[in-house]
Amino acid sequence: MNSLDIAKIVLVLIGAPILGCLLAGIDRKLTARLQGRVGPPLLQPYYDVMKLFQKDNMVVNESQNLYVVMYVVFVILSLLMLVFDADILMIVFVYTVSSVALIVGGMSTGSPYARIGSSREIMAILSYEPILILYALAIYLLTGTFKLSALDNISNPLLMYIPLIFISMLFVMNIKFKKSPFDYSTSHHAHQELVKGMLTEYSGPGLAGIEIGHFYEYVFLLGLMFLFWKVNIIIGLFIALIAFLFVIIMDNITARVYWQWMLKLSWTVLLIISVVNVLYLYVAKIKLI
Amino acid sequence: MLKTTIMLLITAPILFSFLFLALGKSLYKFLAWAFFIVGVVSSIMLVLDGTGKVEVAGSSFALFENIVLILEVLVILFVFYVSAKHKSWPTLALIAIQAVIAAYSYMNVAKVESASFNIDQFSQVMILIVNIIGTAIILFATGYMDHYEKHRHLDRQKTFFFSMSFFLAAMNGLVMVDTLGWLYLFWEITTLCSFVLIAYNQDEESITNAFRALALNLIGGITFSLAIIMLSVKFDISNLSAIGTSSTTAAVALPVVLLCIAGFAKSAQMPFQSWLLGAMVAPTPVSALLHSSTMVNAGVFLIIKLVPAFANTPLGIAIAVYGSFTFVMCSALALSQRNAKRVLAYSTIANLGLIIASAGIGSPLAVAAAIMLIIFHAISKCLLFLCTGEIEHTIGSRDIEDMSGLIKKAPLLTMLISLGMISMLLPPFGVLLTKWVSMEAASSNPIVSIFLILGSALTTVYYVKWLGTILSSSMDKNAVHHLKPETYFPLSFLGLCIVVTSILVFPIYDYFIKPQVTTLLNIVNIVPTVSGQGGQFTSEIGAFAYAVIFIVFALAILIYLATKNMFTPRPAGYYMCGENNLEKDKLMFRNGIGSYDKSSVSNIYLQDIFEENKLTTLGYVISILLIVVALVEVVVL
Amino acid sequence: MALAKSPWIIHVNCNSCNGCDIEVLACLTPLYDAERFGVLNIGTPKQADIMVVTGSINYKNVNVLKNIYNQIPDPKVVLAVGACASTGGIFHDCYNVIGGVDQVIPVDAYVPGCCPRPEAILDGVVAALSVLESKSQGKIKGKDVKLKGNEVPSNA
Repeated sequence: MNSLDIAKIVLVLIGAPILGCLLAGIDRKLTARLQGRVGPPLLQPYYDVMKLFQKDNMVVNESQNLYVVMYVVFVILSLLMLVFDADILMIVFVYTVSSVALIVGGMSTGSPYARIGSSREIMAILSYEPILILYALAIYLLTGTFKLSALDNISNPLLMYIPLIFISMLFVMNIKFKKSPFDYSTSHHAHQELVKGMLTEYSGPGLAGIEIGHFYEYVFLLGLMFLFWKVNIIIGLFIALIAFLFVIIMDNITARVYWQWMLKLSWTVLLIISVVNVLYLYVAKIKLI
Repeated sequence: MLKTTIMLLITAPILFSFLFLALGKSLYKFLAWAFFIVGVVSSIMLVLDGTGKVEVAGSSFALFENIVLILEVLVILFVFYVSAKHKSWPTLALIAIQAVIAAYSYMNVAKVESASFNIDQFSQVMILIVNIIGTAIILFATGYMDHYEKHRHLDRQKTFFFSMSFFLAAMNGLVMVDTLGWLYLFWEITTLCSFVLIAYNQDEESITNAFRALALNLIGGITFSLAIIMLSVKFDISNLSAIGTSSTTAAVALPVVLLCIAGFAKSAQMPFQSWLLGAMVAPTPVSALLHSSTMVNAGVFLIIKLVPAFANTPLGIAIAVYGSFTFVMCSALALSQRNAKRVLAYSTIANLGLIIASAGIGSPLAVAAAIMLIIFHAISKCLLFLCTGEIEHTIGSRDIEDMSGLIKKAPLLTMLISLGMISMLLPPFGVLLTKWVSMEAASSNPIVSIFLILGSALTTVYYVKWLGTILSSSMDKNAVHHLKPETYFPLSFLGLCIVVTSILVFPIYDYFIKPQVTTLLNIVNIVPTVSGQGGQFTSEIGAFAYAVIFIVFALAILIYLATKNMFTPRPAGYYMCGENNLEKDKLMFRNGIGSYDKSSVSNIYLQDIFEENKLTTLGYVISILLIVVALVEVVVL
Repeated sequence: MALAKSPWIIHVNCNSCNGCDIEVLACLTPLYDAERFGVLNIGTPKQADIMVVTGSINYKNVNVLKNIYNQIPDPKVVLAVGACASTGGIFHDCYNVIGGVDQVIPVDAYVPGCCPRPEAILDGVVAALSVLESKSQGKIKGKDVKLKGNEVPSNA
């Protein structure tokens, strides 16, 4: 590990939450504008987190904040692995640890609302996990290795060969951002039925930790989209931005669906088009390296 | 030196089994401790003795050969006796066929002049698993069985411990011996022991299930003996290791398929899976023994030993597809189960399917993954089963929903079982490492890799559901908790094993698995080369940074402990829309008519989509089809 | 500082006729847009800063109110919206009504009116923010309200 790597790590640790916070701010501002409102200031997510740190740490269960730490730490780890071009399959698995930590954290509080939210989030895993791994498999098929470092040596963008997986990944973004129509596990807007879903019993610093984790997660997820056009950084960032705008617009134009509906969508449409795309890669034997 | 250790490994468990018969119940605890120590010491001795072949020839061979013959006859007679006694016609018919085949082979097949034991790294690994985990299970059973029998008014502990110990002896023999005739005897003894153990409760259900297990395993036994006859008559092969190195690899394909079917039956793969589910009626230590260290491992052991015969052939691909199909099907079946033991049973079958799939792919990396998965799966699954048994004693139920709030009732037990579950599905633990390796190895085959991907998502779902339920807190505390050293020592020991083996994964790979894979596949160097530097399990196609994840896990716990008191935690009640009943139970709320209700939330089991009967039928059809395809492929090509 | 910029409210309806509730929700609509002050309507008291109460207190809901009040982490403020929440309103002498919110929990700001206009409610929230800030600086904790107080008859 040389000094450049350390600088990179520090940059990710500090830069990613700032970027994620800005993204969350843009999201809220844009949503407000789409609804014809003025909306909160751009730095509103930052104010929210700072406020939460000043609040009491109210817990129902002594160990519930352990899972928050697990969640944040593993999201950061998966982001770092992405930045350091690690094994994509491994990144997906590490990322699963963070999702599992959040789910178990919700369940550990024992609140009925949190348990309903967590059960639904488990079903979300069932919907997006296969697509993420298929994405990893597609990268392997195209480059001959699961290591992301190989993406630096290719000349054509991934998107040209795996457009169907790209479409599926857009919906995975929607599920993972926990935005409408897939915001059935935890949401500001679902409090009539769910209160706050998984996060019902989290308050103060615990919730602030989860929010910070979300900032890192935003950057991580958009990083996954960036990989689709890594050959040109500008276009790659543009693709990530498109994905982000897609999520926000979907959030605003759709209503919350049943989790069953999402499961059906994912296993009938998204999974099948991803599999078709992967089979195409097998048959066509396209190798970028 | 090697010879004495081999003898010790077979005779010591037999000696202990007779000691269990001879001595009183009060001494079992000490016997089990002694057995555990003997098992650990003798298996480590075998590892230290190194690898090699031991020939048994001359007068001692004649003596042993006669013993084997007598035992074989005894096994057949015993099965005849019990099937006639309980009027179980299918087993009677099967054993009659078996007897005919045995008589035929006695008269027509040329006798071998010597027998041999083949100790390679894989055998060493299996011996370590059988003798350390197996004896730990027996130790656990001494603390478990009294309570179990008290509830059911049984007094059959002598039979129980006798069969358990004898089982280990047979298993030890099975993984060391190279001569097919002897291997077959040990194979049948494990079938018989499992029959006795499953029928332990002696009620109608357990006897039916025991006969089902016997019948399905006898089918495997018949294909096994047919394969032996074929090999010896047609190809003059009487050793297991000779099958792979035989120059006529394509020609021996039919007997290899027959041996594989025997392995599938033993490992409870898809058309045969019902016996393993039925075996759940037996006491938990039996399930743990069958599922983790012994019975089912015998099947995959045989299949991995046969890898050279089918690696990189169409047959190998068929086996890989078959294994991965079982993996995804049984993971889907586990999703809809509420009974913890059934979840574990399906998870076992699924993982064995993964092992078989990896073996079928036959690339060096895949075979390495298969052997490693046997190790890690055995430890984790054993811990999970024993913990489930202990939970059953603590809360009186094996329904996952009833386990909610277990962390408050039995914290240590919950942490141990959580460790077991986490090790099954999350990095950096061994099972996930091997799953990662097999996924990377399978990536050359589209069908196998898609099956593995779907199966692994399903696996995550059913374990997370269970993990969340046991870790959720509730205020209900009516549980009996008994901390016995005989039960908690094996549990903690296994937990420690999980962590240690996962940390030492690369040394294990380097010492045991790499040489084994090179000998099995007859190659000089494993390609892609795997290195273990910098706490990473690296090959050309990927890297698994287990050390980093362990450090991050530790870091997360440290951060939690450091920040825990920075923001003083203030306990509060649940949010129940303000209608809590705070005096009685924090999860109670006032309902519309002013009385109190308890809130309860159940997990999602998707029983309408993943319905057990429907999926099982589908599984039978497809798996039988796949086996038929494999057979046809072999006969035609 | 940050507290005043991000007030999350929990809306508790005690025995209200729904008139005030509709006005509270009107604050969140594009016309009044409370979110420009960072206001979010949160479902769980565990994450709220401002408790907005509408309606008078009666024997049936008094424990609910106290319970939710206890579950809001400090620092916190209570805003009584409407005549009923402030004083008991037209229901003040009903047999089952205890009175305004301040009879059972400490109230920091009152919004009069039957029903109050959304502008008035927003004014109330903004007024409550300075109280919230001063509570945070002075580390003033809300008291833990006992559920069975003397305002509840023993047979209730």
